[in-house]
Amino acid sequence: MSNNELEKKVMSEITSGRIKLRSKYIFFAEKLGLGSAFVLSVLLAVLFFNLALFYLKASDNLSYLSFGSRGVLAFLGSFPYLLIVSMVVFIFLAGLLLKRSDVSYKKPFGYLALGLVGFIMLSGSVMAFSGIPERIERESYSQRPSGRIFRPFMRHGLGERRRGVAGRVVETGDGYINIQTPRSVVKVVLSALQNQPSEMPATGKFVTAIGEKKGDVFMALNIRVMNERDLPMIRRGVHRRFGEVRFRRP
Amino acid sequence: MAVLAKLTDEQIVEAVRLRDKELYSEIIRRYQAKLTHYLRKFIGNQDELEDVLQVVFIKTYRNLYGFDTAKRFSSWIYRIAHNEAVNQIKKYSRKAISLDENEWELIDDKMDVNEKTDASLFKAKVERGLTMISKKYRDPIVLYFFEQKTYEEISDILRLPRNTVGTLIMRGKGMLRGILAED
Repeated sequence: MSNNELEKKVMSEITSGRIKLRSKYIFFAEKLGLGSAFVLSVLLAVLFFNLALFYLKASDNLSYLSFGSRGVLAFLGSFPYLLIVSMVVFIFLAGLLLKRSDVSYKKPFGYLALGLVGFIMLSGSVMAFSGIPERIERESYSQRPSGRIFRPFMRHGLGERRRGVAGRVVETGDGYINIQTPRSVVKVVLSALQNQPSEMPATGKFVTAIGEKKGDVFMALNIRVMNERDLPMIRRGVHRRFGEVRFRRP
Repeated sequence: MAVLAKLTDEQIVEAVRLRDKELYSEIIRRYQAKLTHYLRKFIGNQDELEDVLQVVFIKTYRNLYGFDTAKRFSSWIYRIAHNEAVNQIKKYSRKAISLDENEWELIDDKMDVNEKTDASLFKAKVERGLTMISKKYRDPIVLYFFEQKTYEEISDILRLPRNTVGTLIMRGKGMLRGILAED
């Protein structure tokens, strides 16, 4: 095929109308769609990072690490996996969309990815001061459908753990205590304690313990009285389930 | 015709989009020889090459609204041609590179290989060397040496950072020199 022939062939396809220009609106919609998906992915990654931070700070998760290496299993059992996985998925998605954009190839992708992750972490940390995560937690236990979207992500913070337990003491007995957790009342047996706690659990106090759940009872190996301000998610969960009871100090 | 010759590619694209689709023939005239030269590196069969070239011009036309006229049109059309060549290579799992008659001289001049062997023998050696180095290095080398593209243009065609293009060309040259010296 000579130069002229190819030109004629292509131009005849064009002038006959068999080949048409794709509408500019398609390209506009494509760009808009990509841009919106990118912004949404970044916002969701920020939100999930923020919720993960909030979870770590407000739940009993980190408190198990204060028991040393024996608290690791309880820590792992209460870790916010779903929040972390969701955050990673959205960061990954945002990275993919960024890579597809027209400008991203001008700079090494490693720098852009680092910038993206840095932005998500910084924004997520700043958001922690906004009160948004507390509102999301509250909404996730309300009956409103919009709030309930987040329930699966926050539920783990109040779930039953096999290796750890946290809640409010409602009864003390000989070698055991009963505590209210956000789920139920749990009998914590203290006869197998490896260390005596510096402060004995008293009614109305919040405690965390590590050990093992056996049937209906929790066999504690170590227990610690906590300041209820250190376990705000547990405190709110207990209050939601059992109400804000005032205990008379003996 | 003289007026048309003064228009830049980007101005012609603007005119095709807004007024006169017949003007697209000027784009074909401007790029047919250049793209044939480029695609021949990857596609040896003449009929296949013409089919691919036709697809490139049709795809370019169909997607003209996707081109940002603030950017360089030549890089954009080369990118389309490059992608089509890659698809073709994948389709037939081909790796061989074929150079034009005297293109091996560019390698000889720019890399100071100073080969004293027979021209056709050296051409075959360069082709084999280019086939042996990985695609990652080969693509920028082909665009730089044989298509005379600048780093900036190669960056736009291959969608790589400008500095990476420089690094890949430098490393690719080193590999090619090593292969040529071994033979």
